[in-house]
Amino acid sequence: MIDKVRQIISDLLDRGEADAVLALANEHGNVQPYLYKKGDSLDNLVLWPKYSMGPIVQSIQNADPALKLAVVVRGCDDRALVELAKRNQISLFNVRIIGLACTEAEAKECACAHPYPRSIDVGDKIDGIVSSDELAEVSGKDYGGRLQFWKDAFARCIKCYGCRNGCPLCICEDCVLEDDAWVKAGEIPPPFPIFHLIRAYHLSDKCVECGECQSSCPMDIPLTSLYAMIREEFSGLFDYMPGADEDRKSPLVTSLEEEPIREGTA
Amino acid sequence: MIDNGFEPKILAFCCNWCSYAGADLAGVSRLQMPPNLRVIRVMCSGRVSVEWVIKAFSSGMDGVMVLGCHIGDCHYIDGNHRTKKRFVLLGKLLGALGIEPDRLCLDWVSASEGQKFQDVVTKFTSRVKELGPNPIVAA
Amino acid sequence: MNCDFVLTTCPYCGCGCNFYLQVIDGKVVGVVPCKTHHVSRGTLCIKGWSAHQFVHNENRITEPLIKKDGKFEKVSWDEALDYTVRRMLEIKEKSGPDSFGFLSSAKCTNEENYLLMKISRGVMGTNNVDHCARL
Repeated sequence: MIDKVRQIISDLLDRGEADAVLALANEHGNVQPYLYKKGDSLDNLVLWPKYSMGPIVQSIQNADPALKLAVVVRGCDDRALVELAKRNQISLFNVRIIGLACTEAEAKECACAHPYPRSIDVGDKIDGIVSSDELAEVSGKDYGGRLQFWKDAFARCIKCYGCRNGCPLCICEDCVLEDDAWVKAGEIPPPFPIFHLIRAYHLSDKCVECGECQSSCPMDIPLTSLYAMIREEFSGLFDYMPGADEDRKSPLVTSLEEEPIREGTA
Repeated sequence: MIDNGFEPKILAFCCNWCSYAGADLAGVSRLQMPPNLRVIRVMCSGRVSVEWVIKAFSSGMDGVMVLGCHIGDCHYIDGNHRTKKRFVLLGKLLGALGIEPDRLCLDWVSASEGQKFQDVVTKFTSRVKELGPNPIVAA
Repeated sequence: MNCDFVLTTCPYCGCGCNFYLQVIDGKVVGVVPCKTHHVSRGTLCIKGWSAHQFVHNENRITEPLIKKDGKFEKVSWDEALDYTVRRMLEIKEKSGPDSFGFLSSAKCTNEENYLLMKISRGVMGTNNVDHCARL
C-alpha cells in the first residue's frame, strides 16, 4: 500500500501537477507531518500514526495560496477539508486529494464509522465501526448513570485546550471557550458541563470523526464516545453529514425551508 | 401540581414581539400561575445563545424556557427557525450528557395568547417539580 | 514556501513533552504534539500548546533599555553592561548580598540558567535565586 502512495506522490511531483505533497514521514524514529518537494527522497514516508491534515493545509495556504498542493488524506481529513472549504478557511481549487482508505485495525483504533475518503486512490473501502464498547456502555445507562459517568470523566479535565487545539474544525479566532463569561480563567476543572457541552454543541454540525480530541487529551476523557453520541443525535434531527457535501450549508445556519428538521422529531 | 416541598428556579427567555407580550397579557388578565419564573426579554428568540442556556443550567437553574413567536410569524422572518433547530438539538445533547431534556422547554406563544402563556408555564413548572432539583449542582 | 516541522522538547516544566514547532518561511507559526514520543504521546498541557507564542511576540525586548527620568531609553550594550555592573556592586556594598534576588526563566536555555545561578551564588554571594517554573 505504501509503495503505491510513493508512486502517486513522485508522479505528481515529477509531472509538475503538484508543487508540494503533504504526507507523513518517519524522521529519526518519530513520525511527523512532512511536506515533500520534487527531488526529495520518499524513503522515510509512512502512513501511521495519522496527524490531522486540515489545520496544516490551512497554515500552508495562508502562507502561499497559489501553491499547487497534494495531500494524503484519510476519510476524516477529507471531510475536514470539505468543512474548512465550506467556511472559506481553505480553497480546494489547487488541492489534489490522494485518498487513503483506512484498514480495519486503523478504523478500530479511532472507532470510526466512515474510514474512507470520498474518492479512494489507495486501499480498500471497509465498513466502519458502528459502536465501541465504551459508547455502548454510556448509551445504555439512564440519565442519572450517564450524568455520573460524564461528571466523573470531566472532573479529570485540566483545561489544556488540547481537544480544541487538535480539532481541525475548531477554527474561531475568538473562541467562546476563552471568553471569561463562560469559562473563567484559573478554574480547574472547568465547572461541569460548560466547557464540554458548549464545545459539543458548536461542533455538532462540524464533527468529522477524526478522534483528535481524544488523542490530544492527557486525561483519557472518552471524548470520541461523547462526539459519537452528539453525531447520532444530530443525524437523527437533520439529513446532513459534516464533510459530505461542499455546497450544503449547515442546518444550524439556515431556515427550516432550506434544511428542515426530520419529521416526527420536534 | 404535586407538592413535594421543592420550589424550582425557572428562567424564561421571552421574545419582545410575541411571548413577552403574551406574558404581559396574562398578567393584565390576572391569570394565576406559579411564581417560580424569572423572565429575560430578548428582541427575538433567535437571539438566545446556546451558551446562555448552558450557563443557566450550570449555575443551578432547575428549568429553562425559550419562548418565541409561532413559526412563520417571527418579527424577523426566520429568527425562530434558528431557535427551533438550536434548542431541539440542545435538548438531545442534554440527554446525551445525562441531564433530563424535559428541563428545557421550547414553545411558541403569540402576543394574544395570554391563556397559553399561563398554560405553558404552569405545565412546565409542574414537570420541573416532578424532576426535582438540578442534578448538576446537587451533591 | 518552506514548511518544516522541527522536533523539540517543551521549555517549561521537567516532564519533557515533545512537540513539533511548525515553521513556515523561517517563522514559527504553531505547535503540533509528537504522537510517537514515549513521554507525551501526542498530548500537551496548556503551556506546551502555547509554547510557540513568545518566539515572535511583539512584546519581546530586542535592545538594551535603561530607565532615565522615568522613561525607558535605548542604549548600547556597553552602556547597559557598565551600568548594571556598577549598580549591582554599589547595592551589594551598601545593603549586602541578600538584598538581591535573581529570577530566571523557563524560556532560557539550561546553560543560561546555570550562568545566572553562578552570578547569584558565586559572584553576588546570595542563595536568592529561583525560576519561573517553580510558580
